[in-house]
Amino acid sequence: MSHAQPSAVKMGLPIPNSKLALWLFLGTEIMFFTAFIGTYIVFRLGCGDLWPTQKETHIEIELGGVNTFVLIVSSYCVVVAHEAMSKKSFAKARKYLWITMALAVVFLGIKSVEYYGKYTHGLIPGLIPENTTQAIQKASNDVEQAATAYISSVAPEGAFDPNNNPTLQKVAGQVEGDYAKYAVAIADQAANLKEHVRENVSLDIPLADIAAIRASGETPEPITIEQVKARVMSLMETDVEEPRYDGAFSGIHWTDAMTYGNLFASAYFLMTGFHAVHVLVGMYLFWIVLKQPKLDETWTDFVENSGLYWHFVDLVWIFLFPLLYIV
Amino acid sequence: MSHDDHGHNVPYHLIFVALIVCTALSWVADTIQFNNHILLIAVVMSIAVAKALFVMTYFMHLKFEGNWKLVLLAPTAILAVGLPLALMPDIGVAYYQNRAPQSQYLEHTPGAEVTEEAH
Repeated sequence: MSHAQPSAVKMGLPIPNSKLALWLFLGTEIMFFTAFIGTYIVFRLGCGDLWPTQKETHIEIELGGVNTFVLIVSSYCVVVAHEAMSKKSFAKARKYLWITMALAVVFLGIKSVEYYGKYTHGLIPGLIPENTTQAIQKASNDVEQAATAYISSVAPEGAFDPNNNPTLQKVAGQVEGDYAKYAVAIADQAANLKEHVRENVSLDIPLADIAAIRASGETPEPITIEQVKARVMSLMETDVEEPRYDGAFSGIHWTDAMTYGNLFASAYFLMTGFHAVHVLVGMYLFWIVLKQPKLDETWTDFVENSGLYWHFVDLVWIFLFPLLYIV
Repeated sequence: MSHDDHGHNVPYHLIFVALIVCTALSWVADTIQFNNHILLIAVVMSIAVAKALFVMTYFMHLKFEGNWKLVLLAPTAILAVGLPLALMPDIGVAYYQNRAPQSQYLEHTPGAEVTEEAH
């Protein structure tokens, strides 16, 4: 290390090269996050009053606030660890780095809870309906997919064809003479089931009714979003309470139309996601120190540099917190 | 070794308390529901800047570094402010169109006011 050398002829800046390099890296990091945060601010202003509210986006300031607290405490611990390193209290430094590590885990844990909440509310970039038509379309697509999956799970294509169904052949053998009757009965049952699901589950106007509507010459009232929502919710809830369709519809989420919801979700996941990746990198840096069997002064610079990086991660969150959770 | 800067006795615990107080203040600002949203933005962003300055000045020791810090950080700081400002007229202010393409939503929602006539 440099401290063993005479300092009289030292060239360049009075800081270790590693620290200068780290600061240059932090310069690029500032630009990296500025690109995200800056464009977010601009989009947010451009969208004005149409930007989704915190209620719509399920942003919880409590979780964001606790995470801010967690990162500040961890930043403080890193400072104490670095100070301890310079005072050669290596055991103390190690202890505070462990606390930092634990706090990083807590931060990511809370972040995961938030991400899971976004997922369960269907707040996924590209999947958020931005107007009433899209909300209805999304709901009917989801319901249709679940219905198709359910039908093909209980009544797969060709399953009732006696030629390729060994069970049916076996049963038919036992019920001698009634083979055809038996197979037809099962096939009928399957057809009934499909019909039942279609009638009870589909959000479309039944084909049979279309002819009647045409004949009447009157334009039917368009289905309202409230009607569709009520239908989807009741389908979902009854399937959870008494699994009539084996819970096939319990996984469907109703997502309200949210203008600029996808822009919000993209910005949210991009910024918090890259921030989380930085947290992981910071944890790796601390782990490199913590896995050393014995710390000595040769690690002081490393702790200082990884500490600077960690403070930067904290700094980014300091801006993300008000921008995403409050403003 | 460059660590003679540890002669600076920074009261880290006080900086820490200041940061916690600042965080609590942003929380309070959000809870008390200002009537003026611009005021809320101004308050919480000022608090964020104050926190950032605390962290950079003391936790990152910038107060005790040489002038190289300015050479390194001033251009990025200028660009950081410049990017949003440069994008602002086109996207942020959107002077040529103040309607979201999705706002047929307003026309389809019973009771919602349509502020502008449909084309």
